Amino acid sequence: MIAGRLSAVSGVQAISLSIAPRRGAVSLVEIAVLASCIIAAAVVSNRYAVDIMIRTFLWAGLALAWNIAGGYAGLISFGHAAFFGIGAYTSTILLLNFGVPPWFGMFAGALIAACAGALLTRVCARLRGPLFILSTLAAGEVVRIAALNWRSLTGGPEGLEIPPVPNVVDMVFKSQWPYVAIIVAYMLAMFALSAWIEQTRYGYYLFATRDNEDGASAIGINPSHTRTAAMALSAATTAIGGTLFAQYFLYLDPTHVISPDISFQFALICAVGGLGTASGPVFGALIIVPLSELLRGLLSQSTSGLHLVIYGIIVIVVILYFPSGVSGAIGRTVSRFFPAGGFAARVQTEKYDAQA
Amino acid sequence: MLKLDAVGRQFGSLWAIRDVSFTVEAGEIVGIIGPNGAGKSTLFNLIAGAVVPTTGAIRFLDRTIDYGKPYHVARCGLARTFQIPKPFKQLSVRENVMLSALRRHHTPRQANSVAMAIMEFIRIGELAEASVASLTVGQLKKLELARALATEPVLLLLDEVMAGLTPPEIKDMMTVIASLPRRGVTVVWVEHVMMAIMNVAERIVVIHQGQVIAQGKPADVSKDPAVVGAYLGEKYAYAAR
Repeated sequence: MIAGRLSAVSGVQAISLSIAPRRGAVSLVEIAVLASCIIAAAVVSNRYAVDIMIRTFLWAGLALAWNIAGGYAGLISFGHAAFFGIGAYTSTILLLNFGVPPWFGMFAGALIAACAGALLTRVCARLRGPLFILSTLAAGEVVRIAALNWRSLTGGPEGLEIPPVPNVVDMVFKSQWPYVAIIVAYMLAMFALSAWIEQTRYGYYLFATRDNEDGASAIGINPSHTRTAAMALSAATTAIGGTLFAQYFLYLDPTHVISPDISFQFALICAVGGLGTASGPVFGALIIVPLSELLRGLLSQSTSGLHLVIYGIIVIVVILYFPSGVSGAIGRTVSRFFPAGGFAARVQTEKYDAQA
Repeated sequence: MLKLDAVGRQFGSLWAIRDVSFTVEAGEIVGIIGPNGAGKSTLFNLIAGAVVPTTGAIRFLDRTIDYGKPYHVARCGLARTFQIPKPFKQLSVRENVMLSALRRHHTPRQANSVAMAIMEFIRIGELAEASVASLTVGQLKKLELARALATEPVLLLLDEVMAGLTPPEIKDMMTVIASLPRRGVTVVWVEHVMMAIMNVAERIVVIHQGQVIAQGKPADVSKDPAVVGAYLGEKYAYAAR
């Protein structure tokens, strides 16, 4: 929270103030990290490495989508797997039953998810904090159970399979690289959307509603509208990620796609990376996704479950020592070395002198 | 500008406010005083639209206010401060003030220049980039006032803005409040710091146990036996003479 302390001594007065954290603006560090990931995977060019990279960027985009509600609007949701599933199932059902290309189907999924998100926020309008979180968890389960039992539409527990026939129109490719391009584009679009939200009037309304609802109402912000719009946008963008997931893995079943584990993963990536910032979810995904894959690869053969234990311990340590996330820690380090660069610190000491 | 007509509000079996009527004309500074628990904060919540009245009507700018929708009332030109400041904790002081200006000035850039001007006026310009968590109680009170003013209101409700301020800060704040009518802002002001409110307000409304027991010029009110008995105490009555 407190990004740096800065003191100025002048004449009789010494002022010490902590500088509010900076959001927004893409830093060179972030661009460098992303670019080096893509280059590294291209150099290695091993199917497993590229697969991890695709998963990482997909999760980064999805975490950015979750962050619009959870981070910016303070609507912590453990039901986002429902929106993810709605996106994946809508485009897949449209493709399999009606031959609608996923390029269009994903927007249909986004629309349905947006309506579901808006409805959820309206129904839970009076709930705050843990009660809201629990109700989102329950809503997610409702969608999962519906998907399991509506066999004629979703195929029930057997799931749906997209025929692995490469075809640009159906968004099915033989090579991994078109998927890399699509998913990186998704992540960059989500990053740009987040950075844009942070700098607009609407974004500030979200922060205000999150930080103090009464205070927001008193300056003319309708908290209920603001929250609903945030959840709808977050749900729609999550659904688009769901379509991309379906097109990459070519297989869907309710137990894996609409599982609360998916929702927890969104929240966890944001918590580790830094809630309510555009760079946080990206850093979070860059740490969490390769880490869990790596641990599974290294340890799953020796003792079963050991990789999950170590993964859990690492996550706890990160959250304990970086409460504002990894991006917060990077921000602090940058501001320590470049106090005037990243932060528009303005300390007027002359006025105090004049008054003293 | 503001007209309360027999307004009452019941919480359970208790009437927090009962049969309160008074009017505020444009350009006035009206002070509201009364002992703790008299119903002053409930009265503010009623006027701001945060609490729905059980009886009576509140008219603001010749329209009945939208009960239960404080954001509508705020958009009509009413701003308020809260007795316990309600800042946006994860934002800087400048962003807090800028947010208030965003409704009238749609881009953060335009709203920012409004915010900077208001912060200079309230004398918290040097705190612009500070985080809210680092402010003292006095600075939070000033931020609260700056946030309210940045909405560019026609009517401002001040809820104990002097509490927690040092004597020089109180002097500064008195000057600021006294200058508000010249900037087109009408003021309704709840305060316990008698020196400040009795010197700046043009008219005082005294509330006791949810009802208006006196109103008038500060000098007259301070001599009213009912007010002295209920709130000010004998000592203040002697001092006022």
